[in-house]
Amino acid sequence: MEILGTVIGVAVKSLIFIVGMFLASAYLTLIERKFAGHVQQRPGPLHVGFHGILQPIADALKVLTKEDIVPANVDRVLFYMASLLAFVPVIMILAVIPFGEPFTVFGLEIKPYITDLNVGLILALAFGSISIYGVIFAGWASNSKYPMIGGLRKAAVLIGYEVALGFAMVGPLMMAGSFSLREIVAAQDGFFGAFIWYQPIAFIVILFAILAETGRTPFDVQEAEAELVSGYNTEYSGMKFGLFPLAEWYIGTFVLSAIAVILFFGGWKGPEIFGPLSPFVWFFLKVGMMFMFFLWVHWTLPRYRVDQITEIAWKVMLPLSLLNIFITAFIILIKG
Amino acid sequence: MSYWIDQGKVDALKYTFPYLKVYKYKDVVSVEIDTKHLKDFLTFLKEDPAYSFRMFIDFTVVDHYPSTPRFEAVYILFSPHYKQRIIVKSWIEGDSLPTATDLWKGAKWAEREAWDMFGIKFDGHENLVRIFLWEGYPYFPLRKDFPKEGIKEVYLPSLNERENIPSHDYDPYHTPIPTLEDLEKTQKRRIDKKNQIVLNWGPLHPGTHGTIWFMFDMEGETIKECDIILGQLHRGIEKLAEDLTYTQVIPYTDRMDYISAICSNVTYVNAVEKLLGVDPPEKAKWIRTMLCELQRINSHLLWLGTTALDLGALTMFLYTFREREKLMDIIEGIAGIRLNSSFMRIGGVRYDLPEGAIDIVEKFIEDFPSRVRDYEDLLTKNRIWMKRNREVGIVSEEDVYQYGLTGVMARSAGVPYDIRYIQPTDAYAEVDFEIPLGTIGDAYDRYLIRIEEMKQSVKIVHQCVDRLKRMKNDRYVATDNPYVLPTLQETYLSIESMVKDFNLRIYGEQAPLGEVYLSGENPRGELGFYIVSKGEGKPYRLRIRSGAFYNLQAFPELIRGKTVADAVALLGSIDPVVGETDR
Repeated sequence: MEILGTVIGVAVKSLIFIVGMFLASAYLTLIERKFAGHVQQRPGPLHVGFHGILQPIADALKVLTKEDIVPANVDRVLFYMASLLAFVPVIMILAVIPFGEPFTVFGLEIKPYITDLNVGLILALAFGSISIYGVIFAGWASNSKYPMIGGLRKAAVLIGYEVALGFAMVGPLMMAGSFSLREIVAAQDGFFGAFIWYQPIAFIVILFAILAETGRTPFDVQEAEAELVSGYNTEYSGMKFGLFPLAEWYIGTFVLSAIAVILFFGGWKGPEIFGPLSPFVWFFLKVGMMFMFFLWVHWTLPRYRVDQITEIAWKVMLPLSLLNIFITAFIILIKG
Repeated sequence: MSYWIDQGKVDALKYTFPYLKVYKYKDVVSVEIDTKHLKDFLTFLKEDPAYSFRMFIDFTVVDHYPSTPRFEAVYILFSPHYKQRIIVKSWIEGDSLPTATDLWKGAKWAEREAWDMFGIKFDGHENLVRIFLWEGYPYFPLRKDFPKEGIKEVYLPSLNERENIPSHDYDPYHTPIPTLEDLEKTQKRRIDKKNQIVLNWGPLHPGTHGTIWFMFDMEGETIKECDIILGQLHRGIEKLAEDLTYTQVIPYTDRMDYISAICSNVTYVNAVEKLLGVDPPEKAKWIRTMLCELQRINSHLLWLGTTALDLGALTMFLYTFREREKLMDIIEGIAGIRLNSSFMRIGGVRYDLPEGAIDIVEKFIEDFPSRVRDYEDLLTKNRIWMKRNREVGIVSEEDVYQYGLTGVMARSAGVPYDIRYIQPTDAYAEVDFEIPLGTIGDAYDRYLIRIEEMKQSVKIVHQCVDRLKRMKNDRYVATDNPYVLPTLQETYLSIESMVKDFNLRIYGEQAPLGEVYLSGENPRGELGFYIVSKGEGKPYRLRIRSGAFYNLQAFPELIRGKTVADAVALLGSIDPVVGETDR
């Protein structure tokens, strides 16, 4: 009976998470468009609903009802699989992200996370890596030159930054002494307990890595529109196309921002000024700030060349993250 | 100060080459030599330190059908040391000429164009294929015996099946258009695949800003070989101009470099005025200079926005377009049309400045420098911007002379080649401005130069505004000259003006026999017009020397060994407008 209850609970929660994420990502597009609009001194979406509040729904309807063209010479299996492979793993990372501590409503204990694994972070990294296959498959299956180059570029970039990302995360992990994201949050106490004060190098490396993983502007070589038309998703259309930016630019950025917030900014911790809701408010506020930071970078900077990006990954970011591990280990050793 | 070769040197040349014929029209000096000695003569002009005509400006052919020999080759050369210019002409025996590509690499495309348009063969040319038209096209359109409406020989039955054909002169026959096989053949002739993939970049591609067709033969992302197929926007302006009066050509010059239409206008009008001997009133000159500089700012803003956009700085585009919009409004207010204004007239400008125009221009140039500072804050010291632009497409001084690079391309290599300074037209002789020069010659230098040029343009506009304020009621068009169209007001009020208007519009400006070459400093390089007049109301041959055409020619050489991402940065820094390269 208990197992059934757990299964139903997890299923319901997963559903809520997935649907919630879908809606959230739709509105993240609106946030991005509004943000970009104001950066560029224009109002952004304005006419669908109050200040464009219904714009994401209109967009979704448009993308869903568009003609779905599959070019004649594509590898169909991979072509279809690619958009799913890009999308599903990213959303699966959500499974290990805790949004707060368990709380009780009407005598029912609710855990605002799907599972609290003791290898949560590793699982998140693993899912993140799988989503790369989506991009590479899309490039390969399209049987076209621009997507091919875009996909390979992305692969080259990601190989470098996955390594740097993994090593950079080791610093906070060593301080927390656990892979569980909940325990990492628990290990950060008070304002000055946040790991950002002790792990600034790791934080910088992770910022770069997130930009590279999600393909936001200084690192958006895989779809550099001036060079590769639209990069790896040139041959896609309709919702199959829509899934790529949704997965990369919105859900990916959101999820990785959430991980960064958990690792460095104490997750949902903060002064309890919003009553019982304050963990959630703080968490989403912090994630929102991170997300906005990436938007800000995206809409300001030019783009690196692909060899310069990999150069930064291997020559700067990887040594930095390794150095960070050594320093952290050294300090932990001295402090006992 | 004339910028054509002086009499003393011509005499000396005549002494060395006794069979030389010298022609002079106004100050334009052209020498004629027979084909046998042509190569020696060109080599002599290039190598001899007393002449050192090292810079290649233009090459073209004039068809004197039906006289024999029929074709006349025309070289225009420039001596950077003496700041002098010369036209070398030669009658072509038969239909072939020795190539000049071993002297100047810049002759490569010009000779291909001559082959494409006139069917002149060049012995020793490395790859003499058509440049604008497709392989397999049987005719040479710029020959005088090629009809302007084309040779209609392709039957299009699908059009014939329509009922109620709307026009009486409906013709089911059509001039040939390239088929897919033709295009494939053209592509094969240009580049043969030696490496991993051939990446087609264009004809319609977001990175090319127009319909150019680049082909990269790539090993990984490194470009080993590159070629360009031009001609998607070829409209045969040179051919069309041969059937129009001088005034009627003005709108065509707008449509060449549509980003800086007024500059092209002014250059053309200046060339025609030189041919006809018309002197526009002082006010018109200052208006022209002011509009040219506003247009230059406009063009550079567009360049800055799109180049930044190509390199990923999305917001820059909107920022520059904000200022560009203001400029467009100013130009619209003065000329009546935003983009292709056709505002210039032979002998002046179309309208007088409207009331308040000067104030608005003044307001704009007061506000503009702070905007430029914004742009510079965003890009100049931006590490990513520097990384993307530095060491990309380095041009040397020798490249400039070899390819005939002009405009910002030349100045980035440190060559002070600016027509506004070498041969000032309009009011440029009276305004004070500086020419920014580069040191390395890479894309970053060109970026800095363009930014600086915008500031200098503001300076020039300031001076123009000051001067124009004092010329409130002056005349803006020299209608007392027999070649200048009267204003509408005059046409209505006096019968003489009406007759003159009729004559000029119907028969055209009966230009004296002669030839002129006059160029202007366009934002995209030297735009030159070589006009041959045979005493008719329309140009016998109008050759347009396009700066972008010659600048683009260096592209395949500069991109070799770089990546596709560099191609974007390089193309951005060359800044061609396809309307001008193809004409």
